[in-house]
Amino acid sequence: MTFDTALHFVEYELQIVALTWMAVLYTVKAVQLSRLPMPWEQGPPRGGRAAGTLRGYAGIFMPWTRESSRLHLWRWFEFGAYHVGALVAIVITFTLPFAPGVMTRGVSIACAVLITPALLVGFVRIYRRLARPELRFISSLDDHVSLVSLQSFFFTAVMVLLFDTPGWRMTYFLVVAAFLFYVPFSKISHYVYYFFAHALTGSRYSWRGVSPGVRR
Amino acid sequence: MARRLPGGQTMTTDATAPGTAELARAELEKRFNRLVGTSATNLCTHCGWCIDTCHVYLATGDVRLSPVAKADLIRRHYKRSHDWMSRVFPRWTGARRDLTEDELDDWVEAAYQACTLCERCVVNCPLGVETPQLLAAARGTLTALGKSPEILGQLADAAIAREEHLDMFSGYFLDQIGVLEEEVRDKLGDPTARIPVNEPADILYVPLSGAHTIVPQAVIFNLVEASWTLSMFEASNYAMFIGDIPRAKKIAMRVIAEAERLGVRELVVSECGHAYAAFRWEAPKWFGGPLPFRVRSIVEVLDEYVRDGLLPIDPTVNAEPITYHDPCNLGRKGGVFDEPRRVLAAAALDVREMTPTKAQNFCCGGGGGLVAETDWAEQRLTFGAPKANQIAATGATRVITSCDNCRHQITELGERYDIALTDVVSVSELLMDAVLAAKGPDLQEER
Repeated sequence: MTFDTALHFVEYELQIVALTWMAVLYTVKAVQLSRLPMPWEQGPPRGGRAAGTLRGYAGIFMPWTRESSRLHLWRWFEFGAYHVGALVAIVITFTLPFAPGVMTRGVSIACAVLITPALLVGFVRIYRRLARPELRFISSLDDHVSLVSLQSFFFTAVMVLLFDTPGWRMTYFLVVAAFLFYVPFSKISHYVYYFFAHALTGSRYSWRGVSPGVRR
Repeated sequence: MARRLPGGQTMTTDATAPGTAELARAELEKRFNRLVGTSATNLCTHCGWCIDTCHVYLATGDVRLSPVAKADLIRRHYKRSHDWMSRVFPRWTGARRDLTEDELDDWVEAAYQACTLCERCVVNCPLGVETPQLLAAARGTLTALGKSPEILGQLADAAIAREEHLDMFSGYFLDQIGVLEEEVRDKLGDPTARIPVNEPADILYVPLSGAHTIVPQAVIFNLVEASWTLSMFEASNYAMFIGDIPRAKKIAMRVIAEAERLGVRELVVSECGHAYAAFRWEAPKWFGGPLPFRVRSIVEVLDEYVRDGLLPIDPTVNAEPITYHDPCNLGRKGGVFDEPRRVLAAAALDVREMTPTKAQNFCCGGGGGLVAETDWAEQRLTFGAPKANQIAATGATRVITSCDNCRHQITELGERYDIALTDVVSVSELLMDAVLAAKGPDLQEER
């Protein structure tokens, strides 16, 4: 197998297999969760479920509403930068192989600029997890491996965006494939649960008139 | 803990009694619903944002007692059963299969002693992890294993016994109510004022045990000429704290049956956080639908009376600086924020807000049944340090709260942390004072 055919395989066939794998496993997870009994609120509602769910999802964009972000605003910015970077890095796993026309030089540099802060925040996170006793105490091996695997993902993404050489492309797509195979088994899959969690918690708080508040 | 014996065999030195681990796992599984399941596997990223939102951690600095660490004690067992990676490589995710006596003791500490289920960590978690749901599952499991605090079970049994032997209790109860009725008549200067018991009415008021949860409310109900009756039972439901749903249902059912028998339109719960939760949202879940009458806290009713101008109020009698403590069940979990504040604004001159407040207010440290467990009083008062600091910072000399457990805890916090508090009273008591002061001249004339 030549390098070119190997690169083609890694960029397309392997990506499709990895994405399908991830999608199937996420679907299984979502179905499993949906089939569990749910203790819905049964009392008379003081607010709507939909409003509460939306409020739950929106909460992360409103740092002033939570003490955990209001008192640690810098941490919230780090959180934002990290997740924006992650989102962009995920998007380019699709656009690089399947919509190369979109990835002009300017777009590539813009994407690199958005991912780089996430990479830097990642180093801070690794340092904190190792240095701060309370974070060390609560950390599992998965926490460390997930951080390192995301760093590899971000780093190779930036490299392939800035220096679009076959070598970086090969490295990047191998990292992406490995990442996609690992993600459903790790805490990185938290974003699947996130949508369930805020729908459930948000709807409960809204039903009871806690948040969004109901004028009575 | 496994000890290696000569010959390579291992012996578990602090293993649970035979079958205990299996029973614990089975009980945990019973409680694995969608809410628990969402928080029990990979939702928590161990970001640590919850750590310094917890009053227990803030008071002790002990990371073992932070929300994430407490949740992990339970999560590691759920992960072992429900998380793919944890099933194959449990060490990778920190999952556990073995369950030792030591670990169950840790559960007792985490779920009962060091968590009041206040949900402050939930509203501050960026991902919506429901740590109290996991710890409530642990509470229920510990109850099934006979490891819950005995006093909570005994209080639940006492509530059930009261219904089963009502004939024995009712004579004494009615005598006591007669004494309180005299007190109400004295206060109002009205010899016709009543505390009706067991009579058809629009409102069934469910008090706690204690005159302070009957007299002020009776004074106000009489003044507004409400159609009301007093419940034969007390509102509290200690079985809820130990996750014993069958017993909790029995306790709630006493009052629900009474309300149905009397044909009331509304059940009004005394100023008690967990009782409000029990009737407003837990009972409808236990019985599979809304109750056939409205459920409100007395605070919501008082607010309505104040807003409707049904009560004469003289706030000058409450001139001392006061601050309101949001009980977690009424506030953060129930959304009753504005009602008590409107009553206080009408009935007192100097109302000061704590910082933070409302949904972000700190738990007093006595919730979740902790106040009832006298053996843990020292820890409970230690955990109340953030609340004590909040109160002291307001400069208020009176604390008003709508929960008897909070009232008890805050009174003790005042002594423990040397806060110059005159007293800690309920919204009803504060309002009664303002109402009686406003009626003062009339009362003088009548006398």
